[in-house]
Amino acid sequence: MTDETPPPRPADMQIRPPRRRWWRRISVIWLVPLVALVIALGVAVQSYTNRGTLVRISFQDASGIEAGKTVLRYREVTVGAVESVSFSSDLGRVIVAVRVANDIAQYMDQDAQFWVVRPEVSVRGISGLDTVLSGSYIAGDWDNRINGEAETFEGLETAPLQARGGTPITLRLQDGNQISAGAPIIYKGIEVGTVGTPRLDDSGANVLIDAVIRAPYDKMLTTNTRFWDTSGFDISLGTSGIQLDVRSLASLIEGGITFDTIVSGGDQIAAGQDFFVYPDESEARSTVFTGGPQLELPLTMVIDGSIEGLSEGAEVRYKGATVGRVSDLGAIANMDPETPHIRMLVNLQIDVAKLGLPNETTVDGARDFVANLVERDNLRARLATASLFTGSLMVELVEQPDAEPATLDLTNEPYPLIPVAPPAITEFQTTAQGVINRIGGLPVEELMQAAIGALNSVQTLAGDPETRRVPAEAANLLADARAFLTGEDITGTLTNLNQTTASLRRISEQLEQGQAVANLIAAIDKANNALTGVEGASAEFPQIAQQVRELSAKANRLQIEELANSADSLLQSADAVLSNPNTQRVPGALSDALTEVAQVLAEVREGGAIGNVNDAITAAEEAANSINRAAQDLPALTAQAGRVLNDAGTTVSGYGSDSRFNVELVTALRSLQEAADSVTALARSIQRNPNSLILGR
Amino acid sequence: MTVRIPTARGAGLVACTRCGRVHEPQTPRCTRCGSALQSRDTRSLQRVWAWWAAGLIAYIPANIYPMLLTSALGSSTQSTILGGVVELWAHGDLPIAIIVFVASVVIPVGKFLAIAFLALKLRGPHKPDRHGRHRLYEVVEFIGRWSMIDVFVVAILASLVQFSLVATVNPGLAAICFALSVAFTMQAALSFDPRIIWDD
Repeated sequence: MTDETPPPRPADMQIRPPRRRWWRRISVIWLVPLVALVIALGVAVQSYTNRGTLVRISFQDASGIEAGKTVLRYREVTVGAVESVSFSSDLGRVIVAVRVANDIAQYMDQDAQFWVVRPEVSVRGISGLDTVLSGSYIAGDWDNRINGEAETFEGLETAPLQARGGTPITLRLQDGNQISAGAPIIYKGIEVGTVGTPRLDDSGANVLIDAVIRAPYDKMLTTNTRFWDTSGFDISLGTSGIQLDVRSLASLIEGGITFDTIVSGGDQIAAGQDFFVYPDESEARSTVFTGGPQLELPLTMVIDGSIEGLSEGAEVRYKGATVGRVSDLGAIANMDPETPHIRMLVNLQIDVAKLGLPNETTVDGARDFVANLVERDNLRARLATASLFTGSLMVELVEQPDAEPATLDLTNEPYPLIPVAPPAITEFQTTAQGVINRIGGLPVEELMQAAIGALNSVQTLAGDPETRRVPAEAANLLADARAFLTGEDITGTLTNLNQTTASLRRISEQLEQGQAVANLIAAIDKANNALTGVEGASAEFPQIAQQVRELSAKANRLQIEELANSADSLLQSADAVLSNPNTQRVPGALSDALTEVAQVLAEVREGGAIGNVNDAITAAEEAANSINRAAQDLPALTAQAGRVLNDAGTTVSGYGSDSRFNVELVTALRSLQEAADSVTALARSIQRNPNSLILGR
Repeated sequence: MTVRIPTARGAGLVACTRCGRVHEPQTPRCTRCGSALQSRDTRSLQRVWAWWAAGLIAYIPANIYPMLLTSALGSSTQSTILGGVVELWAHGDLPIAIIVFVASVVIPVGKFLAIAFLALKLRGPHKPDRHGRHRLYEVVEFIGRWSMIDVFVVAILASLVQFSLVATVNPGLAAICFALSVAFTMQAALSFDPRIIWDD
C-alpha cells in the first residue's frame, strides 16, 4: 500500500489576459463622430456668432416688407435681412426685426436712418425700378464712426435727402407753397440737389427746407451764393412784349430752386448753412451787394384817401430804387363818435439791406435810422403811380423839405407809423380828360353851326317853291346863257373882265410887294369902280363880284383884330346872297369867286404886308361895305341878268333838258355848299388864330 | 429559440467573411483570399455606434441648414428639407412631397432607429426572432445606397439650373451634411457583424 500522497500540485494558476485599459479597448473609429461633433459644434458656434445683431426698426406700415425675403442694404450692399415683422404693443407701428451683420451693426448708432425703397414714379422719372422684380428693400444710412450701437430705430416714411457726398443746407423761404419735397435744385440747368419736406420755423414766419447740394457741385456754394425760386413759369410784360419763361417740367409741377454765386470771393460755407430763397432772380442778384440775409423793417402808413390800385406786394421805392414791398393792406376805424371815419392802413416791409445799412444792423437800428431821416430830411411816404396804363400804385419814400415837421410814431402798434405826403398820382384818366377837354374846346360847334347855317340856306333855296318852279326856266336860262356866253358880246366882256382881273392881279401883286396903303385903297377904289361898272353890264357881274371878293379877302387877310368881324360881315353878306333865291343863278361864279378869294388870301399871306395892316383894315372895311352894297345890289343885278338871259333864251332853244339841268343844278349846289364850307372854315381859322394867316402857320 | 442554428464558432472554426472558407481558430489570415480572420468582431458594436453617432451629428445640420439656394429673377429663396416638403405640400404636389419626405426624413430616421435597435438588442437576454433581426439588418444595408435621392436631386438641379439672373440653384450646406449623414449610416450598417445575432 502505498499511501503515497500525491505530491502537492501547485494550484492552478488562473491566467487571465490582463484587462486592457479602457482606452485600449476603444476603437479608433470613435474619432469619426468626435471630429463630426467638433465640426458641427464649430459650425454651430460660428453660425451663432455670425448670425448678426438683431435690430428693430419701426415703420408706419410694412408695405413690401416680407420676413425672410426683404433685405437691408447699405450703399446698395446687402448687410442684413428681415427676420420677422410684428406690431408694436399698441399696434401703432410695425416693428421690423432685421438681422444685421455684426461688423456693420456696430456703426448703426442712434442717428442711423432707415427707409423702405419702393418703385416710385414721379415727374422726374422712375426710381427704384430694380425693386419691381426683387421686391422692396430697406435702405439704411449711417455714418462711419463707431459710437454706441443702438438696437431700436424709427424708420423714415420717405427717403431722406442724400446726405453723403454732398453738403446739407437749410433754405429759408417766405412762402413754401410752391415747393414740394423732392423738388430739384438746379444750377445752370443741371440738377445738382434736392430739397426735403418744407416745414415752418419756430416763429412761423418762414418756411424752412432742408436741402442737399451734391458733390462736387457743393463747391459752388459760398457765402455770396444766392438762391431764388424758379417754380412754375414767369410771365413778364415789358416793352419788348410778353415773355414766358418755363423751366423744366419737374420744376413746373414740383417747384424748383436755383442758385448762382454772383460774385466771387465768398467764403466756403459750413454744412447746414442757412440760405434765403428770393422770389425771383433779379431780387436775388440785387441783394448781393447789399449783402446779408434779408432783414425787414415793418412800417405802417395811414392814408385818408382811396388806395385803389395799391395791392399787396406793390413796390416801395426810394429815389427810384425798390427798397421794400407792401406787405398788407387794411383799414383803421376811428371810433370817435364825433368824427367817425375810416382810414386805410398800408403796411410796408422795408428791406434794411437795400437801404444800404451795414450787415450787422438790427431792425431796431434800422428803425432809428428811418426815424432820423423822417425828422431831419422830412422823409415821407406817399402813394405814387406805378403804371400809367394799369393805374396800379406803389409807395414812394420821398424827402420833402417843405413838409411840416413830423416824426416816426414809434408808439404805433404793431409797426411804427411813418408820416405821409400827398399822393403823387398821375391819373391817366385825368390826362385823357385834358386831351378831351382841349378837343372839346375846339370851335367844332360853331363850325358845325356855320355849316348848318349854310346848308340851311341851301336847303331853303332848294326848298323854295320858286326854285322848284325854276328848273324849266333855268334849263332855258342855262341854255340861253350858254348861247349867250358863246356869243361874241360875252366873249368881249370876258376879255374885259380878264383885263380887269389882270389889273386886280397887279394890284394884289403890288400889295404882295408890300406897297403902301394907297395902292390898296386905289385897288379897292378900282374895285369899286369896277363894281359900279358891273352894274351897267350885268353879264359881267359874276366876275366883278369875284374880284371884289378877292380884294376884300386880301384886305381881310391883312387885318388881325377886325378880321373876324369883317369875315363875319362877309359871311353875313354871303349868307344874304345865298339866302336870296336869285343867287341860284350865280353859284358857279360865287364858287369861283370864293376860290379866288382863297388864292388871293394865300398870295397875300405870302406877301406879308403887315406894316400896312391898319390902313388895310380900313380899306377892307370899305371893301366889305362895298361888298355889302354889291350884295344888296345882287338881286337887281341877277334879275337883270335873268332878263337878259331870258331874252337870250328866246333866241336860243336848241338846248335844255330837265335831266341835264338837274345835274347841273346839283353840281352847282354842291359847289355852293363847298364854297360856304370853305368860307366858314376860313372864317373860323382866322378867328382862332389870326396870326396864322399872317405868319403862314 | 427552438431551432439551433449551427455556427462556425459552435463548430470550433472560424469562417472568412469574404470568401466563406473556414479555418482553424487561430489562423490569422484566410488561406484563400488573405483577409483577416476573426471569429467574432469584438469591436463591431463600437464601430457601429461611432458611425451611427457621426451620422446623427451630420443629420442635424442637414435639417437645419438650407438644402437648396434658389434665386429666380432677383429674388432668392432658401429651402430646408422639411421646408421644401411643406412647400411642395402647400403647392399641391403631394406625390413629390411624399417622395421627398420619405427619402429625406423617413428612411434616414428609420435607419438610425433600426441600427440602434439592432445594436442594443444584440447582447440582450432575449433573442427572439433572430431571422427577423437579420432581415432588418439586410434591409438597412440594402436601403443605404438609395438614401442619396435628395443629394442626387440637388446635384442635378445645381448643375442644370444655372441661368444667371433668371434662375439659379445652388446646393446649401445641408446637402453636404445630408450626404455625410447617409455615408456615415451606411458605414454604421456595414460595421455591423451580423454573426453576433446568431450567438447564444
